Amino acid sequence: MTQLVLFDAFNGLIVGAFYALMALGLSLILNLSGVINFAHGGFLALGGYFAYMLIPYVGFWGALILAPFLVAFLGIIVERVLIRRLYGRDPLYSLLLTFGLAFIFEDGTRFIWGAQSLPYQVPGWLLSPLSSAYFFITGYRLFMVLIVAVAVTAMFLILNYTKIGIRIRAGTLDLETVSVLGVNVRMLRSLNFGLGVYLAGLAGVLAVGQLGLQPTIGASLIMPSFVAIIVGGLGSLPGTLLGGLLIGVASGVTTVFWPSATEAVIYVMMAAVLLVRPRGLLGEEGRF
Amino acid sequence: MSNERVNIAVQRRTVLKAGLAIGAMQVTSPFVVKSLADEPVKIGLDNPLTGTYAALGKNELIGCQLALDQINAKGGILGRKADLLVEDSTSGDAGTAVEKARKLIDRDKVDFLVGNINSALAAAIANVSYEKSVFHVVPGGHTDPITGANCHWNVFRVCNTTQMEANAVAGTLIKTAGKKWYYITPDYAFGHTLQAGLEKACTALGGAKVGGDLTPLGTTDFSSYLIKAQAANPDVIIFLVAGDDAVNALKQAVQFGLDKKYHLAGAQQELEVLLGLPPEARIGTWVFEWYWKQPNLPHLAEFVADIRKRSGGHVPTARTWFGYAAIWTCQLAAAQAKSLDPLKMAKAMQGFKLPPEVSLMPDGAFYRAAQNQLIPDLYVGNAQQAPKGGDREDLFNVTEIVKGQTAAGTLEDTGCKMTWPS
Repeated sequence: MTQLVLFDAFNGLIVGAFYALMALGLSLILNLSGVINFAHGGFLALGGYFAYMLIPYVGFWGALILAPFLVAFLGIIVERVLIRRLYGRDPLYSLLLTFGLAFIFEDGTRFIWGAQSLPYQVPGWLLSPLSSAYFFITGYRLFMVLIVAVAVTAMFLILNYTKIGIRIRAGTLDLETVSVLGVNVRMLRSLNFGLGVYLAGLAGVLAVGQLGLQPTIGASLIMPSFVAIIVGGLGSLPGTLLGGLLIGVASGVTTVFWPSATEAVIYVMMAAVLLVRPRGLLGEEGRF
Repeated sequence: MSNERVNIAVQRRTVLKAGLAIGAMQVTSPFVVKSLADEPVKIGLDNPLTGTYAALGKNELIGCQLALDQINAKGGILGRKADLLVEDSTSGDAGTAVEKARKLIDRDKVDFLVGNINSALAAAIANVSYEKSVFHVVPGGHTDPITGANCHWNVFRVCNTTQMEANAVAGTLIKTAGKKWYYITPDYAFGHTLQAGLEKACTALGGAKVGGDLTPLGTTDFSSYLIKAQAANPDVIIFLVAGDDAVNALKQAVQFGLDKKYHLAGAQQELEVLLGLPPEARIGTWVFEWYWKQPNLPHLAEFVADIRKRSGGHVPTARTWFGYAAIWTCQLAAAQAKSLDPLKMAKAMQGFKLPPEVSLMPDGAFYRAAQNQLIPDLYVGNAQQAPKGGDREDLFNVTEIVKGQTAAGTLEDTGCKMTWPS
């Protein structure tokens, strides 16, 4: 039993790392622009479909690099054409807009690529378990965790050591002052949205390596991202990372004792955090 | 400087509302109403077009539309044109499915109701059709009570019961794979009854359950369940998940190398699932309820060709055939009864054998009297990679055709005690 719990906890960390990757993009957009991006799952699905289309031409590795950029490019267009117009209004407007976009993305992918799951293949050498005992640690899952670690580190470096990153962080705290200081807030928001959506696209390319590529893939993965943000703390990127990992572990360990509650447990966690520490585990007091 | 209002606060409550709305997004859907001609005979289809069963729903719809066109080309239903009114029931929200069924019956005044793929939804709308006394055909919801303990005089079912599927495959699995079974089962009506059916069949043959997990519908990550399955050290891991869940589960099981340690199998498999899997994951022993490749079967080639024309070159699946047989059942019931009166039609269909151009299986298929369950052939075999030089959708190797009567058990076994209106 102990071994089972440890296995599931470790496995939960792997799953949680993936949730964190999705949630980080969502959190980035939410923090700077105040947009609750319902369409994040749609962008994730597009990442998978773009990769599926690109693989015959550029291979898996090429698709892994190109597909998230294509998604980010599309995201910037969406931000510039649609979302930007709603920045001055109540956040519910952008929420409704992205809610609609989520439907459009899902039905759009269904229209273009069909409702049928598509057979998406990753390089064979990534698919084997690393050892017979730790069979759940496959090369691909380890690779996913590595990519998440690289993405999180890169984001940390960008946000802390580049001019644009420092502006994004400053804007997260006080966008008005940043604007008064002469920073092009419009550009900042576009880039930030693109970066957030890039992470969704990257998560999409990675997800379809082990899940079926189907139009609902984004919708099925978005809820844990929201929960990760709320558990970890609104406004805190480290909190989002922590939230993702925690819900992954909680969900994994619950499987041992109460398998049918693996989904429910993350919402119970969310409720508990909201009751005991409403700002989330690492959220800033009074910020939200 | 930007003239935008830049100081925007997002409240935590707003984020929570967003989460709730995402949940709502899973259960809401647009509806589509197809053509309404003057005084046509109306068939209402209340089936998933979105969600985890969207691919299955789409194929059932293609089968329905082919049958409808054939029926209209042959003079319609009792000389009247037949129309299909299509509603998206969603894949898992019984409330929406029931609401759509009521809309079809009360507002659109359909003469027949067809649906649903999801067992729980099929059972829910069967209660509505029974209450309203509408002739109802369930094309693809397998849970036993629909034509068992909760059978109704007006509700007919094309697909098999879960017990029939379990009975069809259990013997082969015990013989070829072993007696210790571990179940990964979707946590709703279909999964529950399918597992119960397999447990019963397995025990009768000397096998045993060594463990099992109920997984929520729409589960994406099966890794933790697979870890438990491995810990139980079974001979066979039985996957009872369907649709997109089955794609996710099998893909992950093969990535974990479980196919090299255990036999992977299940009581029901669908071509839609196998098509969504990478080649290395097209493995295992399963039951198909219909297959497009049956040597020397009259009318089959024509049916396959017709479906290919309508589905971008894809072959028909069991779901396509379910939809096809369901719509033909409506026409045949009316023709047999010479009336659209639901009671007369239901009585006319007792023991009715489908014509070979509709049944499309070696031993034919008939609706068992006093149960309204279609008794067809079942196809036991193994998933396979597409043969070199063969059709890329030939993903199943049939090793045994089990007659429905063998798999169905007795009428008493089903628990159906049908009562008729006076």
